[in-house]
Amino acid sequence: MNGNIFDYKNYRYFKLATAIIVLALAVYLLFEPAVGHYGGSWLGYGLGTLSALLVFWMAWYGVRKRRYRGTGATQGWLSAHIYLGTALLVLASLHSGFHFGFNIHTLTYGLLLLVVTSGFFGNYAYMIYPRLMTDNMGEDNLDALLLRIADADKLARQIAVHMPDDINNMVARACRETYIGAGLLEQLKGYRPDCPSALVVQQLASMGKELSAEQRKMYHELYSIMVRRQSLVKRARLDLMYRARLGFWLYFHVPFAVALLTAMTAHVVAVFVYW
Amino acid sequence: MIHCLLIKVSHNSRGLPVRSYHTLTCDELTLGRGAENKVHLSDPRVAMHHAVIKRLDDGQPHLVAIHGELEVDGAQQQSVALTHGQRVMIGPYQLTVEPAPPDVDLAVSLVLAHRLPDDYQDLKSRTREPLSGAAAFKRRLALWLAGLTALVFLGLPLAQVLISSFRTTMNEQPMGFDRVWSPGRISTAHQHFGAQCANCHQVPGQRVTDQACLACHRDTAPHIVDPALQQHAFAAKGRYFLHGGVRCIECHSEHKAPYPLVRQYNGVCVRCHGDIKAVNPKSLLPDIHDFDHDHPGFKLSFKTGPGEQDVERIAQADKTHLKENSGLKFPHSQHIGLVQGPGGMSDIRQLTCASCHHPEGKEMRFAVVSFKRDCLSCHADRLEVGPANATLRLPHGAEQDVINVLKAGAPKQFARYSETLKSDGCGYCHDMVSPAKDDPLPWRVTPLHITQDWFSKARFNHASHRTQRCQSCHAVEHSESSADVAIPDKLSCLRCHAGSSPKYRRIASSCMSCHDFHNPHVSSYGGGGANAQDVAPQPR
Repeated sequence: MNGNIFDYKNYRYFKLATAIIVLALAVYLLFEPAVGHYGGSWLGYGLGTLSALLVFWMAWYGVRKRRYRGTGATQGWLSAHIYLGTALLVLASLHSGFHFGFNIHTLTYGLLLLVVTSGFFGNYAYMIYPRLMTDNMGEDNLDALLLRIADADKLARQIAVHMPDDINNMVARACRETYIGAGLLEQLKGYRPDCPSALVVQQLASMGKELSAEQRKMYHELYSIMVRRQSLVKRARLDLMYRARLGFWLYFHVPFAVALLTAMTAHVVAVFVYW
Repeated sequence: MIHCLLIKVSHNSRGLPVRSYHTLTCDELTLGRGAENKVHLSDPRVAMHHAVIKRLDDGQPHLVAIHGELEVDGAQQQSVALTHGQRVMIGPYQLTVEPAPPDVDLAVSLVLAHRLPDDYQDLKSRTREPLSGAAAFKRRLALWLAGLTALVFLGLPLAQVLISSFRTTMNEQPMGFDRVWSPGRISTAHQHFGAQCANCHQVPGQRVTDQACLACHRDTAPHIVDPALQQHAFAAKGRYFLHGGVRCIECHSEHKAPYPLVRQYNGVCVRCHGDIKAVNPKSLLPDIHDFDHDHPGFKLSFKTGPGEQDVERIAQADKTHLKENSGLKFPHSQHIGLVQGPGGMSDIRQLTCASCHHPEGKEMRFAVVSFKRDCLSCHADRLEVGPANATLRLPHGAEQDVINVLKAGAPKQFARYSETLKSDGCGYCHDMVSPAKDDPLPWRVTPLHITQDWFSKARFNHASHRTQRCQSCHAVEHSESSADVAIPDKLSCLRCHAGSSPKYRRIASSCMSCHDFHNPHVSSYGGGGANAQDVAPQPR
């Protein structure tokens, strides 16, 4: 039975990628041109051609995964995409001979580096966050959490009406001004520094002394509602954070992959126009 | 005291306004969230004690804020005079002063103008979807990046290459758009024109031609002396991948700085010398791939006459013929270490190689040994004849000069002194020959042929080897004869040098470490390039 994308078919693509890396490294170490390694040596052309083919094949995965039919399982394609992408990084590095400058060739390598490293983060995200999302949400979903927060808001406001103005205002503000995932940065951090929901819990703790006996009873109830509400808000923010992080790396992976294809075309054209 | 008609306006299930009337009589009419207020406004947005309606000093009823805020036409006010038609916002409630019936002082209506929103919908509106707009952002970013890359790194350089008018314009600029295609640093020698790629890359899609190099290097001589061999070796069609012959840049590769323009690896040489018969079937040279493997033993160049071409090449392995015939008698063994000087036992001198062999220049080539400088201080008595009280000093020079001085200085003893000189004077150091029949002189000295450049087809730099002792390569301590050759052989070199790859305690040495590429200026005897000696004679 297939486990996941990493051990697909008994690590088939891991083995293939390892073999490619070891072979490329061995050839690189054994056959060094007199002027050092560079992309234009026979080894450089070989590694470059292989790298270019791999880039096109990797990019084709973007098309393949959107199709329901195609050659091989999508899981296998993804497994190969990950492992051969890692091998591609080694091949392209060896192809460059580690010569860098302000030119199209280094730009192409830099874009490849960005695409592959963002892919690494994607791997990490898909390994870590789905489990954390389940731990955080259990059987809830975001809408269920929002409903429960709204209920808590209503209840808290009803109680706070009978409390002094400062408590009432604080509670009203917390209910009115609690934003969840307001900006990209907050979504990625999963945390809002001046969150009124946290602030109200913090301040309520020190405000119960001047209340009448009847108000004090309500105060305790209000406090526990606000604490529960804060934990719900936290969970909602965490859920958004995990989902944002799961998708954020694609902000770079896909656009930079498109740029890489363009840069690589320019790189190849440059090499053969000025042969 | 205020008599106030309070009209509370609510809305029924169909959304129509429903007015309920209450008459209140009191000094101060308090409004707020607290139950103790005369007018109870149960909304969290209203303060516990929000405001009060009371008569101020002018006797008119005013609405005065206590802990809440009053808003009139968007502006906050502390106190508002309640005149007919005045509208004031008390939190979410709107208070309007209505026309008062005759039995009351004031009539106001209160309506909840801003209802509390639905909590869930409100919260949902404040909750953003993760990475909302990501798809559009990614698309835009991809298009921008790809567009920018295509323009700067493909479009503009290609336009410069393909559109001649654009190329002409850019050629006048310090740098072209195609500069971004440069794969590496240009060598120092070419940097002054390297910013314009078209100087070398003259035809798009075509590899850099020799004509591009020769546009500047017009005076470059053919690399091989024999024109036919030059043509055969460099333009042999089919011997090289993808093109007809060897181009300049195959050995002088650009964009590889700081590596030198001349490739320093054996592949360049081995391409022909690995199978030399394929280049020139008449060649007598062996196939060579590496100094450590199949490089033949050295051949030494012996000087045989006064001319530059009077050189005989003898293999070091040929011990029978490997004898120097310089015309001198010189045992090295007697000129090293502690030796007795002309003063006898009290004149002991320490001689080293440097006592007679004087290095010159950066490469430490050795000057020719001079009698006056290097021999005279010990061997002055060899140029003296006669008893101690009538010594005749002779010059070190041509035989005729010596005979003339002898005839003039000691005419009676001429025959005896002449014989002495033949065996113990000049003949002490020089080989002597009998004169020809019609020669007026009684004897002659064999002409000297002292070899200065033993490796005429290679380059040897003594300065690079100055850390070594002379004797580690030149074993002359036990040499009794000047016919002995003390030039190191290949095995001697291999003690410290390896082939193109370094070995344990042996440094890598390529062909270029000792040989220049078919360069005729290397040897003082005139020939590093392939020449007649290396080629079998033509059948006649």
